[in-house]
Amino acid sequence: MTVETVSNLLVAAWLLPVAGFTLVILFGRLFRDHEKPAWFTVLVMGTSFVLSAIALWQYMANGMEPYCDPWPWLAIGEGKFLEVGPYVDEVSVLLMAMVTLISTLVHIYSVGYMHGDPRKSRFMAYMQLFTFSMLTIVIANSLIQLFVGWELVGLTSYLLIGFWYEKRGPQLASKKAFVMNRIGDTGFLIGMGIVFFKFGGDLVLRSAEPGLGIFGTMAANGMNPLDLSSADQWWLTIAGIGLFCGAMGKSAQFPLHTWLPDAMEGPTPVSSIVHSATMVAAGVYLSARIFPILTPGAHLFISTIGLITLVLAAVIACAQTDIKRVLAYSTLSQLGYMILAVGVGAYTFALFHLITHAFFKCCLFQCSGSVIHACHHEQEMPKYGGLMRKMPLTAIAFAISTLAIAGAAIPYTEYALSGFYSKDGIIAGAINYGEAFGRNGMSWGSLFYWGPVIIAYVTPFYMMRAFVLTFLGKPRDKHIHDHAHEAPWTMWAPQLVLALFAIIIGWPMFRVGASIHATAPTMLTHDAAGQEHLTMMSQGFDAHTEMAHGFHLTHGFLLHGFAWIIPMVLAAVIYWNGFAITSRIFGLPVLKQLHWLVYNKFGFDGLYDTIFVALCKIVAKLAAWFDRMVVDGLVNLCGWLGKNIGFAVGGFDDQVVDGAVRGTGRSAVKLGGVFHFVQGGNLRVYVLILLAVGLAGLAVVVIPLALGWAEPAAASTAATATISALTQ
Amino acid sequence: MPIDLFVDLLIFVPAIGAVAVLLPRNNPAAVKMIALGTAIVCLLLNIAIAFDYYGTTGSYGIGSGSVIKYMTDLVWIDSVNIHYITGVDGLNLPLLLLTSILNVIIIAASWNIEKQIKGFLCLYLLLMFGMYGVFLSLDFFLFYVFFEVSLLPMYFLIGIWGGPRKEYAAIKFFLYTLVGSICLLIVMLGFYFLIPKISGAEQAVANGKASFNMIALAEDGGFQRAFGQGGVYWTHAKWFFMLLFVSFAIKVPAVPFHTWLPDAHVEAPTPISMILAGVLLKMGGYALMRINYAIFPDAAMWAWFIVAMFGLVAIIYGAFCAMAQTDWKKLVAYSSVSHMGYVILGLAVLTTAGRNGAYFQMIGHGISSAMMFYLVGVVYERAHHRELGRFGGLWNTMPAYTGLAAVGFFAGLGLPLLCGFPGEALSLLGTFKASDWLTTAPEWVPFAGAGAEALVITIGIIAATGVVLTAGYVLWMFQRVYMGPAKPEYSYSGRESVQPREYFVMAVLAVFAILLGVFPSIVFSLTDATFGAAYAGLGDLVSNLASLVGAN
Repeated sequence: MTVETVSNLLVAAWLLPVAGFTLVILFGRLFRDHEKPAWFTVLVMGTSFVLSAIALWQYMANGMEPYCDPWPWLAIGEGKFLEVGPYVDEVSVLLMAMVTLISTLVHIYSVGYMHGDPRKSRFMAYMQLFTFSMLTIVIANSLIQLFVGWELVGLTSYLLIGFWYEKRGPQLASKKAFVMNRIGDTGFLIGMGIVFFKFGGDLVLRSAEPGLGIFGTMAANGMNPLDLSSADQWWLTIAGIGLFCGAMGKSAQFPLHTWLPDAMEGPTPVSSIVHSATMVAAGVYLSARIFPILTPGAHLFISTIGLITLVLAAVIACAQTDIKRVLAYSTLSQLGYMILAVGVGAYTFALFHLITHAFFKCCLFQCSGSVIHACHHEQEMPKYGGLMRKMPLTAIAFAISTLAIAGAAIPYTEYALSGFYSKDGIIAGAINYGEAFGRNGMSWGSLFYWGPVIIAYVTPFYMMRAFVLTFLGKPRDKHIHDHAHEAPWTMWAPQLVLALFAIIIGWPMFRVGASIHATAPTMLTHDAAGQEHLTMMSQGFDAHTEMAHGFHLTHGFLLHGFAWIIPMVLAAVIYWNGFAITSRIFGLPVLKQLHWLVYNKFGFDGLYDTIFVALCKIVAKLAAWFDRMVVDGLVNLCGWLGKNIGFAVGGFDDQVVDGAVRGTGRSAVKLGGVFHFVQGGNLRVYVLILLAVGLAGLAVVVIPLALGWAEPAAASTAATATISALTQ
Repeated sequence: MPIDLFVDLLIFVPAIGAVAVLLPRNNPAAVKMIALGTAIVCLLLNIAIAFDYYGTTGSYGIGSGSVIKYMTDLVWIDSVNIHYITGVDGLNLPLLLLTSILNVIIIAASWNIEKQIKGFLCLYLLLMFGMYGVFLSLDFFLFYVFFEVSLLPMYFLIGIWGGPRKEYAAIKFFLYTLVGSICLLIVMLGFYFLIPKISGAEQAVANGKASFNMIALAEDGGFQRAFGQGGVYWTHAKWFFMLLFVSFAIKVPAVPFHTWLPDAHVEAPTPISMILAGVLLKMGGYALMRINYAIFPDAAMWAWFIVAMFGLVAIIYGAFCAMAQTDWKKLVAYSSVSHMGYVILGLAVLTTAGRNGAYFQMIGHGISSAMMFYLVGVVYERAHHRELGRFGGLWNTMPAYTGLAAVGFFAGLGLPLLCGFPGEALSLLGTFKASDWLTTAPEWVPFAGAGAEALVITIGIIAATGVVLTAGYVLWMFQRVYMGPAKPEYSYSGRESVQPREYFVMAVLAVFAILLGVFPSIVFSLTDATFGAAYAGLGDLVSNLASLVGAN
């Protein structure tokens, strides 16, 4: 099989879901029962997965070279086009397979979860459209295609969050998600615009021909984004930060993070794929794809945003009581890790963590969905407890994924669940990065590694808290517990498959058994421009590798042995009896206020509502008022003046001129009446006005102009002088 | 050649139709069929022209080897050199197609008008006559005549079939556009007096008098030199450019010349709002491209910043105004102001990408705005009000209609793969690209030099924030109207439910919205050669400057 065939397989896998969407949205209503269209979408998705899997296997087995297939799309003049089309490399084939696999599993899960919903087939159609949009991003080789996919996932996310649009919550959450994403997208557009004019009008990342495409142009012109003395530095930084703003919107990074927890208003299958596994990771994917153009300034910006997000979200997650909100903040925190990874240069680990996280977080959300389903749509953990006996399969899947996200490993060996490998790599990169600042006397650089290291201890805590509160201990609400039951197979089977992947997915992607300190995962390295950038970056760090290495070893040791065990035991002890202990602790004066603050997510929502939303509405009202009163007022004033001058002239005519000449007077009065235009009028009159004003204009402007040419000396006439004054 | 004939038939078939609809007595069905037949004939003629034209390349000029095909040149008023000149090129062909498609759809949309349907359709066909005339005429005077001809039926269509304040709206629309016409008239007279005095402008002169042939003006070297930077008429050129700009900015409309638009839209009946937003506004953009930018390339460079500001203000200001509206139709009307701002901005920056974007935006907005007005109209006809606050739950009571509404409004919002996106994206990208030529432009160009980069990026950033505001008002509207629990008063069944005819109108527009969004090359394949040729002068100026950038 050639790489062209692989590319065509991927294109088929990419376009199949949009065909499924079209068929189901148009003809789904013909089926009285929703099961047939629903299973049809599963079939479409499964086919898409099989095609991607074949492509992945062929690509890896044959060790193929990257390949792009540009399709002209938007004409930009002079015969040039902005191109779209598939790009095949290790990253895209891997992610294609991952997205289609997870999507297939979520489709199956949705068949069970959405059972009995009157709009089930529409839901399945939206899921198809979402998968198509997501694959548009994954397979993209140009920023313009990334942007297209970007907006389309935004749309499908909007439709899916707002799926139960009768309720106020989903309405507001969907709108908020879309608008906040668009704020990020503005940055994306700006970044794209700057790249567009600075890289020869090209938006393709990697071109088959050398010297073309963004990275090709960069190499051909000898641009080095890491060179601080270069003149390109400032605009490359703006472009990098602009594009990263798109990632901040989509990946819900601070300060654009508030939409993601609200997005949990959507049905849980949506949360499991759109708002945890795939779409929100698109920001990480974008940042990793544009990695080679990032400047030191952009790196610092990205790292800082990632750091803030991962710390802030983990802290908030510890105080939430709604099970989906805990998972949402956990997602934010993990996305913060990935974004930090891109910032510090460990972009391969960002992609690696993206993949591992997709499996365990999708699994966690599906489990929470099963629990919510079993508990009559109760989402509050204080009402749960002891569900292990009622739904063992769900509990097992949840436990495995909790261990995976906690980065569990067998102490003193390299055998671990998937989350460990990817997180460890990110921390290693962060240490390297932070140390480089330390060496230059900027000791605050150490925040870049203390943050992720400490949060690596917090993550197992809040996850274990959720697990204990839900599945262990005594039931806290007898009614809910009595009616709880294991989910149908369409729901538990996908969970178990995902849990299995959460265990094993790290192994083929990492040299298990070899050194844990491998510089990069074995896959995902196939990006020449990125590798070159990374090499240049690490040259800056070279002097420190020893120190960083030592630090990583010590803390790696902690990670091995204790980072997951200690916090988990702690959480189990504290929460075994529900909130008995914590309610006493947080009853204390200062701690109470602190807890309130964290529970209310540090009040960002209120802040944004009062500042930006209110401001926007006020400006809108002002603009509308200005438009009505001032702009339109002037127009009406002109009309009023015209009318009254008409009356005045008419009156003058009537009284004075008419006194002398009867006949003229009558017609002039008529002319005065003409200006009744506000009340409705006579069209002929306006033609007359037109002629009159036209002639006046002619007299004032054109004739002097013409004379001006005929006699250059006459250039000093008043009209020409006025013109000159106005135009110079 | 039959195609040559088709072009002129396109203008006169609607005029014949306008007379024909007056003939049947007390037979509204026959009247409607005649009107629809006329529109369909025009559409077929237009499709034939498009297929025959497809692939034409050449220079922008008179005679063979030109991108302008099927030129007819007849003497009309010999004493002042006024001719009847028509022709087709990439600049007008996509707009003609848009007009033809919308005409058929709009006549279908007017099917259930009961008040004086005969007069309505007669005036509508006259309007068609005017619109085709504006797009096809290549003689300045002829263009002016058709520009006025299209005004008159519109005045009556709003003034007779409109809402409660129809007279006010109709007169405001009419007078406002007349002010623009005066500017046009002044420039035309200026040409008439000045051109014979230019040496080397032979092509623009006949019988010792100025010619009104717009193509000759655009291609003539002597004319361009005299009106170019440093030429004897440089000052006049700047004046003419700005007068023409005001004239067309009223039509587009650009802030602050836009207040006739919300009133006209709110009062006009649905089909008239559709044609007003769908085609009549595009006359302004088209005229800017055909006249301002083709005839005065130097003045266009001189004016780039002023024009760009008009575009920028329209985008942002229009979006804010739209956000504050409580009348649904007024919201859509202000969204037109905002969206047409991208047309002006795209043209102002003088880059190929920006120009393509501006042009595509006209076509895309033609489809999406017509669709949005129709979507409002379908509900208004049933609910008899347009207050956003009172709606809710339409997604439940009218699901299929809402599906189509989503296509329409998201096209308006500029979602990729729908017709609103390519125009917006290219205008914005083109704006950023402007710093290529501005950084090395001569000093008579405003803000030329090294600082241009930062200025252009700032303009681009401000314009890009428009997309957030657009999302804000469209989604807020969508939430208030379509989401929420079903309300019984908006539940329609039986004869009140959405009719197949209405679904047809919405579905055709939706198909075009998707088609243009997915395959934007449909437009670009027709325009590319013409744009390359028509703005070759401008392109040389700009690319000479840009090549200096490369050399540095």
